[in-house]
Amino acid sequence: MRRQNAAGWLLHDVKNRGVTAWLLFAALTIFYILIYGYRGGAMEPIANVFHGLMGTTSSSPDQWAKTLIFFLPENLVDRWTLYGFLYSVAVCTGGGWVIWKYRHNRYQIVRTSVVIFVQVAFGFSIPHILKFFQQPDYYFSYFWPLKFEYFQPSYIASHPGWLVFYTFAGSLVLVPVMTVLFGKRWYCSWVCGCGGLANTFGEPWRHLSTKSSWSWKFEKVSIHTVLALSVVTTAMWIVPSLPGVNLVEGTTAYAVITWVRSAYALVVVTVLCGMAGTALYPIGGTRVWCRFACPMAAMIGLMQKFGRYRIRVKRDMCISCGMCSKYCEMGIDVRAYAQANFSFTRASCVGCGLCAEVCPRGVLRLENVSRKDPQELNMTALVDESWKGQHSSVGSRT
Amino acid sequence: MNIVIIGNGVAGITCAQVARQRDADARITVVSGETDYFFSRTALMYSYMDLMSRRDLEPMERSVYRKQRIDLVRDWVVDMDASASTVKLGSGSTLPYDKLVFAVGASPNMFPWKGADQIKDGKVHFVSMQDLDDCERLTKTSKQAVVVGGGLIGIELVECLLHHGVKTTFLIREPYYWPMALGREEADYVTEHMRHHGVDVRLEEEMTQIQVDAAGRVSGVVTNTGETLPCQMLGIAAGVKPNVERIKAFADAPELGRGIKVGPTLETNLPGVFACGDCAEIHYPGQERPLTELIWYSAKRQGALVGGNLFGDAAEYAPPLFFNSSKFFEVEYTTVGSVMDAPDNAPTLYRKLPGKYMSQRIVHDGERVIGFNMLGSRWNHEILERWIHERRSAEWVEKNLRSAQYDVEFGRAPLHKHDVQAMPLNKEWP
Repeated sequence: MRRQNAAGWLLHDVKNRGVTAWLLFAALTIFYILIYGYRGGAMEPIANVFHGLMGTTSSSPDQWAKTLIFFLPENLVDRWTLYGFLYSVAVCTGGGWVIWKYRHNRYQIVRTSVVIFVQVAFGFSIPHILKFFQQPDYYFSYFWPLKFEYFQPSYIASHPGWLVFYTFAGSLVLVPVMTVLFGKRWYCSWVCGCGGLANTFGEPWRHLSTKSSWSWKFEKVSIHTVLALSVVTTAMWIVPSLPGVNLVEGTTAYAVITWVRSAYALVVVTVLCGMAGTALYPIGGTRVWCRFACPMAAMIGLMQKFGRYRIRVKRDMCISCGMCSKYCEMGIDVRAYAQANFSFTRASCVGCGLCAEVCPRGVLRLENVSRKDPQELNMTALVDESWKGQHSSVGSRT
Repeated sequence: MNIVIIGNGVAGITCAQVARQRDADARITVVSGETDYFFSRTALMYSYMDLMSRRDLEPMERSVYRKQRIDLVRDWVVDMDASASTVKLGSGSTLPYDKLVFAVGASPNMFPWKGADQIKDGKVHFVSMQDLDDCERLTKTSKQAVVVGGGLIGIELVECLLHHGVKTTFLIREPYYWPMALGREEADYVTEHMRHHGVDVRLEEEMTQIQVDAAGRVSGVVTNTGETLPCQMLGIAAGVKPNVERIKAFADAPELGRGIKVGPTLETNLPGVFACGDCAEIHYPGQERPLTELIWYSAKRQGALVGGNLFGDAAEYAPPLFFNSSKFFEVEYTTVGSVMDAPDNAPTLYRKLPGKYMSQRIVHDGERVIGFNMLGSRWNHEILERWIHERRSAEWVEKNLRSAQYDVEFGRAPLHKHDVQAMPLNKEWP
């Protein structure tokens, strides 16, 4: 039952797909159309509908950015600076609130602090500092397959060696090693900007993810499809610039390659990742992109299945209350595992730790299983029933 | 085989699911007058506080019942005919059975307080879905509430009322909160924690009279100190008892005591008729006192046992080492083994972390550990159980306590910084 006062109504309405939630969804969608509707972009015609109503043009957002971010040199500032700035502000304020809300939980404090730091430093400041010194604006917190342009031969040829080294070492060594050791959470809920926004600004809507078994089936198909498409698209970027390959404009091969590249950029990168992922917060929950479409999440999710990370379930202690499932942003029915005494690793789990936080019986624990785990039970103790009759539990118990 | 289960709580549904695993062809019918689908009673408070919707309380997708072919009937069972093997439903229809399971749960205790018979509205319990309906309806017109009964359901109801801005007084008859389970030291700081949240906690105060207004709505209660506490809602959370009232009216009924009397296999005196969960009163040969376990975990275990015994397993119910957990506002609680049934003045090792609502109590008998009461941090009861089974000494357990900690990563409670002290268990209840 919601609280009785006006604030209670608003809070319930905006968090539970009420009128205000739909209004917020509409506002976010328009915001994204304006941001992505730049001159020459695929979104421009739709953006121009709104610009027509406002008497502005598709280049106006760059001007707004220069006005609002007056404290940075004008040549550094465009609409993406404004977006990055707003994004960072949302992560910082939402993150501050999340840290306060879960101040009794050190995992949440540490994780949220790191995610705020990564956004402010690697997601916003460092790329702009690099730009200021006329360096390439490299995002250190993104790896393949989120950033596959870094792997193009032409990009490699034109960038400093240490950046190229970071690109390869990051994607080929750091990502798999970290994922096997700690699960995909090290990235999805500690580093990634999308996850960072979801776990800070998006906190009020995390429970909206659907938990149906149908959505799980859909998720497995959709996310791995996108992963496959990202592999194909990466090849489309690399192959044409390999030595000996001479792609001529006007040929069918050329047309197919450019079409695939731009279709992926529009559908996956712009619409699904850039726009829908965030605009859908008030309607579909915070991790729609991460759960159904992110190729990085798909890839490290598969690695996670073979790694050490798991959610541990304490035997027989679950009361099936369902808070864990309700507050799982990835739509995992955690309760189904907990009430069956089943410690588990799901590919989609981003290790945000909220299931363990909201569990009123302390049943769940995120952990990296080590071979020296002191908590593994030995069977001798379990079959020793000599305690029986010593302090019998016969009697009334409530 | 035709199996009829009365009650769709955790005992009944667990029983139905185990029965289905045993026999793919049995006809399984679950009858409940309370709700269409099994829901988690323990999560009522989260729905009341808007943290979950009603639908979220259901532990399984509804399609599960169809897939497992468990027929759900929404009705009350009003009578049974043991010789014809039928039960009669409120709608007038009858259901034949080969095996019958009572999993009817428990209902709240109500005592003959002065004025209680005048109440037409304003009194709530917090056990059933209908109770939640009542609570939500009454909250809208209540500014003050009184909750009677110093146990788990009481503190949950208090937390919900406070969440909705209702000024709440918590009347606890005993000298400290929940003496059934907590030592004085723990109870004192749980009380402090409640007061910190704005609860008006009254220890050693009892309700002596209930006042109602002209319309019969509760308007106040008088306590044994003579004080009148105005309130528009009165929560009664003075424990629960096996739900046998309806069964008493049956033409044929299994033998009843405080609950439904069953033997160690959970079968009643009527062949093929079983009882499990809160309603079962288990009699063991040679033991004077029967066992009634009114908790979630036992209901689940007993339901599973009956699910097999329907098919002739004849497995006897032996309760494992006791464990339980709970949460008092933000303070988490884990108990294992003997604390409340330890002898009076049993030696314990006790550690309170200063400035925190966090403590550990290791109960022992001088030689070996027999129980644990842990508050404010998380513990793996499986390890604590093992130490009891292994007959570890209190000193050994204290030295190794760290390996049973279950706190979140980075958040391990800092035990090593504070010493334990020897302290006898203070049992101040009759």
